[in-house]
Amino acid sequence: MSEALAPAEVAEAAHHDGPAERLARWTAGYAPLPGLPDELVSGDGALRPAWDRFLRRLAGLPDGEIAARLAAAGRHIQDTGIAYRAYGEATERDWPLGALPLLIEGAEWQAIAAGVAQRAELLEAVLTDLYGEGALARDGLLPAAAAAVDPEFLRPLVGVAPPGGRHLHFYAADLGRGPDGAWRVLADRTQAPSGAGHALENRLVMARALPEVYGALDVERLAPFFQAFRDGLAAAATREEPRIGLMTSGPYSDTYVEQAVLSRYLGLALVEGDDLLVRDGRVSIRTVAGLKRVDVLWRRIDGDFVDPLELNPASRLGAPGLVEALRAGAVAMGNMPGTGLVESAWLAASLPALCWRLLGEPLRLPGLPTWWCGDPARRAAVLEQFDYLAFRPAAAPAQGAFTSRAFGEGRDAAETARLRAVLRDRPGDLVAHEPVRLSTAPVWDGTRLVPRPFVLRVFAAATPEGWQVMPGGFCRISESPDVRPVAMGVGVRAADVWVLSPGSTAAQGSLLPASDRVTVRRVPGLLPSRAADNLFWLGRHLERTEAVIRLTACLLDGAGSVSMAEEDRATSARIRALLHAWGAVPSATGPAAQLALHALSDGTQWGSGLSHALSARRNAAALRERLSGETWRALNALRAVLEAPAESPDSEAALLDRAERALSLTAALAGLAQENMNRAGGFAFVDMGRRVERAINTCRFALDFGAAGASTDDLGVLLELVDSRISYGARYILGVALAPVRDMVLLDPFNPRSVAFQVERLAERLAGLPPLRQDGVAEAPARLVAGLSGVIAGAEAGSLPLEAVAEWEMRLWEIAEAIGARYFPGGSDAARPETLATLA
Amino acid sequence: MLYRLRHVTAYAYRNPVSFARCVLRLAPAEGQGQTPLSHEVVVEPAPRAAAERTDFFGNRTVSLTVETPHRDFRIDAQSRVRVERPPLPDSGTGLAWEEVRARVLTYPGLGADAPLHFAGPSRRVPLLPEVTDYARASFPPGGGAYAGAYDLMRRVHADFAFDAAATEVGTPLAEAFAGRRGVCQDFSHIVIAALRGLGLPAAYVSGYLRTLPPPGQPRLEGADASHAWVAVWCGEGWIGLDPTNGIGVQNDHITVARGRDYADVAPVAGIIAGSGAQSLSVGVDVVPEDEPA
Repeated sequence: MSEALAPAEVAEAAHHDGPAERLARWTAGYAPLPGLPDELVSGDGALRPAWDRFLRRLAGLPDGEIAARLAAAGRHIQDTGIAYRAYGEATERDWPLGALPLLIEGAEWQAIAAGVAQRAELLEAVLTDLYGEGALARDGLLPAAAAAVDPEFLRPLVGVAPPGGRHLHFYAADLGRGPDGAWRVLADRTQAPSGAGHALENRLVMARALPEVYGALDVERLAPFFQAFRDGLAAAATREEPRIGLMTSGPYSDTYVEQAVLSRYLGLALVEGDDLLVRDGRVSIRTVAGLKRVDVLWRRIDGDFVDPLELNPASRLGAPGLVEALRAGAVAMGNMPGTGLVESAWLAASLPALCWRLLGEPLRLPGLPTWWCGDPARRAAVLEQFDYLAFRPAAAPAQGAFTSRAFGEGRDAAETARLRAVLRDRPGDLVAHEPVRLSTAPVWDGTRLVPRPFVLRVFAAATPEGWQVMPGGFCRISESPDVRPVAMGVGVRAADVWVLSPGSTAAQGSLLPASDRVTVRRVPGLLPSRAADNLFWLGRHLERTEAVIRLTACLLDGAGSVSMAEEDRATSARIRALLHAWGAVPSATGPAAQLALHALSDGTQWGSGLSHALSARRNAAALRERLSGETWRALNALRAVLEAPAESPDSEAALLDRAERALSLTAALAGLAQENMNRAGGFAFVDMGRRVERAINTCRFALDFGAAGASTDDLGVLLELVDSRISYGARYILGVALAPVRDMVLLDPFNPRSVAFQVERLAERLAGLPPLRQDGVAEAPARLVAGLSGVIAGAEAGSLPLEAVAEWEMRLWEIAEAIGARYFPGGSDAARPETLATLA
Repeated sequence: MLYRLRHVTAYAYRNPVSFARCVLRLAPAEGQGQTPLSHEVVVEPAPRAAAERTDFFGNRTVSLTVETPHRDFRIDAQSRVRVERPPLPDSGTGLAWEEVRARVLTYPGLGADAPLHFAGPSRRVPLLPEVTDYARASFPPGGGAYAGAYDLMRRVHADFAFDAAATEVGTPLAEAFAGRRGVCQDFSHIVIAALRGLGLPAAYVSGYLRTLPPPGQPRLEGADASHAWVAVWCGEGWIGLDPTNGIGVQNDHITVARGRDYADVAPVAGIIAGSGAQSLSVGVDVVPEDEPA
């Protein structure tokens, strides 16, 4: 470290040095931690060849450029919301990508891939036995006493032949280098491995951030792996063109965004338990077009949660009857429920012998040296080394690499006493293992490289051609130099993993990066009712956001040419009353600027622009797989504009500027829906949400500002609220008068803001939706819309009584209700499943 | 002893229920001194589909789906069964409890008959240090496993109050243990947790008690509802202990299902699609056939 330059000198040098100097400066003083292997340099202190090639390319870029590229990558992550969150947390955190890629030579990778594929095959064989014949337990090849008390041993699945012929479809292993430099497995992931979607996103971001380096290094592509994985899932089905669902843990789980990314990339229907119905020996998705059979489910919830009837009764994520459906072979599931069993630490000590027995070959990738404490032959040795060893629950992943820590790393007296008590009463509940020290990989700290501990997750998919391993992975690197696994909980960065092709770059012929996009797929006619619900409310919340902001803008600018400086003016009072009735402001009185700040940006007011915008964002978050990146960015920008702290709270001009910026974003969102949303994928529901809300709001505006005795100010506000001032001015030279304003706002079928126009669009959208029956009888929503449409067509602006508009408003509410009852999961009779119970 | 059983479960819902899917465990078990003679279940409204199976632990189950909208749901199960168990062993006999624990750790096999399944925590029976410590007094070094379990069962009977108002079906074990009161389910879960805390296998058994006591004997608790007790594995076989009444299980007890805890053997478990309140009434009749009913 002594050769490292002081920061000021580095900054100075960065301006002048060339590639060779840069390379020397980055690596000068790079010192792996004593006794621990490192990725940048091998045991003899030489740069590993892959890193040498990478750094030579990277050194072609000045430091400032690299920093800018990595910062842009970070922004991309912020913008597209590659985020994760902990359960129960309402807001997401950005996914902290920012490290250099982890580089692995092709030859070394082949050994890793062979080892990972072998473990997947071995664990499949172990599962087949544990849920089948039970010979391994009977012959003492694994500790039956540990398996029997493992909560992941799901007894209703015992004896169930997995549809599609296998338990495991997707497997991951967490790897690090052991003290001897050889790769070893820190943990097996057989439950529902996460991270593959992040690997995909990380790749897209890094390939964009460092295209010349990425292109020059001949990095193995990820797309073929995902294609093969999807083919493997499809192969588990019995139908020709199977429908595959991704059974998600829902928007509140920390890996939901990743699941949305994968469902979109792989063309899978993202379904929650409530979307599924098991009936008459088949599993269906509840969609707006009725029940659609699903053939394969890729499970991303824990196995115990898939069926509240036969498994965990507390589960709200599963669907009752799914286990029965699996038993009947009506649906295939990857991974089968119960596969989490072989993640547990008690199995680790038995794997080498099991590999010989089941596969007839030695275990290629070893795990940590581990001992099951229930083994009487081992207990004495474990007790002898009690102070040195680490302990962890036998029925938990072998190495919870990031979140949990082993008992006994720096244990205190109380913990030691607890540990000894368990070793005495229930020794089978523990395993002992050697303390883990993670190996390190280089991280660029802005001026040079420093070693940091990391864990590499590698993924394998069961395909018709056997296990395939993703040539890449998901790497997590700690920001702190602490190499104990417990330190990996906080300050972790994600890194892309580049596997370099074994051949030279010339051998593959092209330096151009091949596309990492999988062939586009369509999932026609598959809009789950729950997604339709969210889309509808996304449209309604966005429209209401806009209405509140327009109303606030009218309050602020005095409706253009009309002055409303005095608080007690009737028009101003009406605006204030409506904002108050809508829950946007705490009171109808006070300075206009103060009220406007509440109405725009007060998150504690349920009806403020910000509250509706946040509701829209929540709906959008549950629809991640259906919305474009632009839509998400615009929603984030809208939130940012509304949430920004007020610079001068009493400045009407500043607030008007805020309102106008927010309105341009709501307009952008409307345009994005219009232009970018798939017409088959739910545009109709966003649009109906918008139309019904706009029609309701417009009726309300007409009732408040278009009454018989309305003043010129009132009518001016009304035109402003429906954004029709300019069209009106173009049509009527003589200024505002009641009948023409009403006609334009309520009846004009050519004004895209009129009530009539909204009702026509509703009729169009409903006509385009799939019917439940083929008998040609109109369904309730369409009937109600047709009725209202006829009434409006027969109305005349001059003679229209205000009570009629109030009745239209009521009928629009009924239409919204009817759409909900027909297309959404709960509908008006909100039937949430509940559990029956009897008391002994 | 020959018994005629009737178990009626009736749900009443405030709002109509459009869909119900449930699993019933109401049929008397076969074996361990029991011979079922007949069993019949009538469900109203009539189910759209029903399937019989045997679960992992060998209990007979009926899975059914009701799709007729209903406000009342009624399950009427009637059975006849003969119960003739051998007398209880002398509590002074049998293996030392440490030996039983050691046999568990090296037991070969994961079949349904393996005691291993009942040796660890389960959904409704967490292992708590205070419950394990409560058990220790019954298990001196070298003491017999059966003698210890019997003593533990007697202590729970003595230390805990039967109180149907104190707990409900979802009350956590820790709460019932701290309050020292509960119903048969709580008594059984506590004894099970105490035994498992020391590494000894213990199962939860659901069933019935004869309603009318033999002449001159007191009426037992839990006789007008379904009942629950404990089976403990003493190294070679299972022995039934009823902590609610402080007695060994003999011919007054009729076994229906056996599992790790209540969650494995609930007589009626299910999911309904509906909102609003539900109320439940359960009626159980256990009539010895050679007596006038």
